[in-house]
Amino acid sequence: MKTGDQLGPFQVRVTREQLVRYAGAADDYNPIHYDDALARRLGLPGVIVHGMLNMGLIARFVLEALPPLTSVVEYQARFRQMVQPEELLTIRATVARVDGTDVALDVVLHGESGRPAVTGSLHVRLPRPEGLL
Amino acid sequence: MFQVDATTWGQPSSPQVREVERGAIRKFARALGLSNPVHFSVDAAVAAGFRDLVAPPTFPITLVTWEVPGLVLPSAGLIHGEQTIRLGASICAGDVITVRAWGDDVKSRAGVRGRMHIVSVINQGSGQNGEEVFWTRAVVIVHEEGMTRENG
Repeated sequence: MKTGDQLGPFQVRVTREQLVRYAGAADDYNPIHYDDALARRLGLPGVIVHGMLNMGLIARFVLEALPPLTSVVEYQARFRQMVQPEELLTIRATVARVDGTDVALDVVLHGESGRPAVTGSLHVRLPRPEGLL
Repeated sequence: MFQVDATTWGQPSSPQVREVERGAIRKFARALGLSNPVHFSVDAAVAAGFRDLVAPPTFPITLVTWEVPGLVLPSAGLIHGEQTIRLGASICAGDVITVRAWGDDVKSRAGVRGRMHIVSVINQGSGQNGEEVFWTRAVVIVHEEGMTRENG
């Protein structure tokens, strides 16, 4: 793995069912994630996907593309645009730095608007190769 | 209502004890569509060298507290702007984590539709031996006049 290597694009759609599942699992019952009428009263186009659900999806696809037992050291994300359920999401990662088993990736999630909805940095530690300490 | 009390802002909250449950890890992993068996099967987790089911990297968000000294947040009109999660050793089912939160920074300014406040809050989770297992920093944006169309 070297600087500039790309992972993805990975594509996924978040269903309304998944929003409800995530709200329960994360204990996050902000109504803008399940109540369309209330979301519209607050000036939103309808319910929106939790920023943290998008952040979790990015980590899911990136880690699935890396060796098993890769661990996350630090993960930072900025939520820039709203994403709605059923929207096609595209996730990409680019290797920014490699230092031994430590790898920093720049990550981005786009919704259908084309503008980055989430940008961030994911610092992971790859497992040591077998037999090396 | 949004309120910051400068006399207590920045002080750590009282410690809150969280027990990491297998069911909570499985539910969280399922909600994200994860398939790695270390989040679902104790046997698979142990075979991979862990003591029990492993929490996904964003799981600490379920353990943080928003009871922050000196901070009153409104019930609506909050936008999550940024999130940082720093992780120590793996968090596994059965762990008991002590969580403290404190206010980090507040900036207020006039926005297009009324005042907005950019608030950052830090949470720190310590394991049974006092070691840091997670550190998070959340930035939330509070619009006094409700939501904007930007951000998620």
